[in-house]
Amino acid sequence: MNQSDPQSFIDSLSSKFNNIVNEFDTLKINVESSQWTETVSILKNDFGLTYFSWLSAIDWENEVSVGDPPKEPVNPHFEIICCLSESIEGNLVLVSTKIEKENASIDSLVSIFAGSNWHEREAYEMFGIDFVNHPNLTKIYLPDGYEGNPMLKSFELISREVKPWPGEVDVEGMPEDGKKEEGES
Amino acid sequence: MDTTIDPNNMPHVSDASVSVEIETEDMTLNIGPQHPSTHGVLRLVAKVDGEKISSVEPVLGYMHRGYEKLAEVRTYPQITTLVNRIDWVSGFANEIPFIAATEKLMEIEVPERAQHIRLILTEMARIASHFVFNGAYALEIGALSPMFLAMEDRERVLDLIESVTGGRFHPNFNRIGGVKPAAGAGPTTKKDIQDLPAGFYEETKIVMEKVLEAVERFENLVGGNEVFKARTQNVGIISKEMCEDYGVSGPILRASGVKFDLRTQTNFLPYDKFDFEIPIGENGDCYDRWYVRLIEMRESARIILQAIDSMPSGSLQAKVPKVIKVPKGQSYVRTENPKGEMGFHVISEGGLGPYRLKIRTPSFSNISILPALLEGQLLPALIATLGSLDFVLGDVDR
Repeated sequence: MNQSDPQSFIDSLSSKFNNIVNEFDTLKINVESSQWTETVSILKNDFGLTYFSWLSAIDWENEVSVGDPPKEPVNPHFEIICCLSESIEGNLVLVSTKIEKENASIDSLVSIFAGSNWHEREAYEMFGIDFVNHPNLTKIYLPDGYEGNPMLKSFELISREVKPWPGEVDVEGMPEDGKKEEGES
Repeated sequence: MDTTIDPNNMPHVSDASVSVEIETEDMTLNIGPQHPSTHGVLRLVAKVDGEKISSVEPVLGYMHRGYEKLAEVRTYPQITTLVNRIDWVSGFANEIPFIAATEKLMEIEVPERAQHIRLILTEMARIASHFVFNGAYALEIGALSPMFLAMEDRERVLDLIESVTGGRFHPNFNRIGGVKPAAGAGPTTKKDIQDLPAGFYEETKIVMEKVLEAVERFENLVGGNEVFKARTQNVGIISKEMCEDYGVSGPILRASGVKFDLRTQTNFLPYDKFDFEIPIGENGDCYDRWYVRLIEMRESARIILQAIDSMPSGSLQAKVPKVIKVPKGQSYVRTENPKGEMGFHVISEGGLGPYRLKIRTPSFSNISILPALLEGQLLPALIATLGSLDFVLGDVDR
C-alpha cells in the first residue's frame, strides 16, 4: 500500500506497544487513557509520526435515539481516536483510548500538536468531553447558548422525530424482485 | 509660570519638534461572514494596531450542517449524496474516500474500468477546483480578467463532468463497487451497459489541450505580473514544521517543500499506472501555493490524457448485494482531494448505515493555522494569505 514497507513499520511499533490491531489496512494502537499524551508524544518523537491528521471521539452506547445500536451490547464509554501520519513515507496510525462517560475528561494534546486545538474543541462541544489543559476550550461550530452535545447517541435528531425515515423501504424491492417498480434506473 | 507670549520672540514653526508617544489601542476588525475574500461565511475577528494584526480568531459554524450526525441515520448508498456536498467545488473527489473505505470493509474488488473513470473524474474535479482558485485568487489580489478566463475554461471541464455524470457540481456518480452507468448513454439494460457518452474521448482531448493552454496563459498573465508577485512573494510563509503540527495538507504542504501526495502514497485509485510530476515549492509563501496549484492542473490534464488512451474495457460494477450491509469493522481511507487530505473513518456495526462516520476535511485543518500564521502580519497580507489557503466553507464546517 505505502511506498515504505508497512510490515517493518508495524514490527517496530509492536516492540513498543502491545495492543495493536491491523484491520482493513488501518493500524490502530489501543492505549490506556492515562498514557494518552505520553503515547502520542512517543509516536511523534521516536516513530516519526510528526503529521497530525485529526482527533475525534465515538460514543459507544446501547440505547440510541438515532441509527442502529451496536449488534452486540457494549460497555458504554467514549472512544477517543487520534490519527497521526508520517509526512514522507505515509504510514498512518490511529491511536485509540477509552474513557468513562461520567465526567468524561482526558489530557489535551495541544502541547504536543498545536493543530489538535480545534479538533478538541469540536469533540468538546459535540460529545461534552473535557480536555484538561486546553488553552481555549470553547464551542467552535455551535452558537454560544446551545445546550446539549449533538453527537451523543442519546441526542435526538429533530427532523427524524417529525418524520421518521422510511429506512429499509428505500433499499429493498428492486424491479427484478417483482415487488416494486422503484429503484435505481 | 509665565504664559504670556512675546510676539516678537516667537520660535519659528519649523523649529518646533514634537515627540509624543501616542498610546494606540487595538481596534477590533470584523472580517466576514459576508466578506467576498472569505469565500463564503467565514468570520475573522482581527485585532489590529494600525495596519498590523495583533491577533486573529476565526469564527466558524455559519455553514455547519452536521453531516457526521446525518450520516448516522442514512444507509451507505445514501451517504454519497451527502458527502459530495462537503466541498462543493470538487464534489466528485469527495465521494472517493467514503466509497473506498466502504469497499474496503466489504472487501469488494472494483473493476478496472470503473477505477479509471473514477480517476479521470477526480482529476477533472481537481482541475475545476484549481480553476476557481486561480480566478478567485487573482481577483482578490486585484486582477479582474483572470476570473473570467478561469470560469470560461472551468465551464468546459464541468461540461465534461456533466456529460458523464449528469451533474455539474454534485455528481453522486459513485456506487459501492463501481460507478453508475453514464447519463445520456442510452437505455441501460443488463446485457449492454453503456458508460461514457459518445464522443467523450475526443471532447476530453480537446478540452485538456485547452487546459494546458490555459495553464500557460495563467503562468504568464498572473505569475509574471509584478503587482501579483509583490503581493504574494514572501507573504504568509508556512514552514514544514508548522504544516505538520496543524495537519495542513495538499498543495499548501507541498508548497512548503514536502513532497507528500496521497496519490502516490496510497492505492485508492490506480495512479501508479501514469506518469506525472508532483510540484513542490521552495519558500512556502503565497506565490508558491499559487504556483503549485497551477502546475497541478497541468499534471492532472496529463494524467487524464494518458488515462483516456489506456482505458481498459470491462464491467462498471462489481457484484454487490442488493441491500448493502457492511460487515462489522473500522476503516480509515484518505485521499488526495484538490484541497488536501480528505479521509473518512467508517465505523460499521454490521447495519445498513454506519454507526459513526468521522469526516476529516482538508480545509478545516488548513485554516486552523490562521491564528498562528497571521499574527504580526499586515492587513493586505491577510487577504493574500487567506486566498492562498484555498478553502471552501462547506469543507471547513461540514
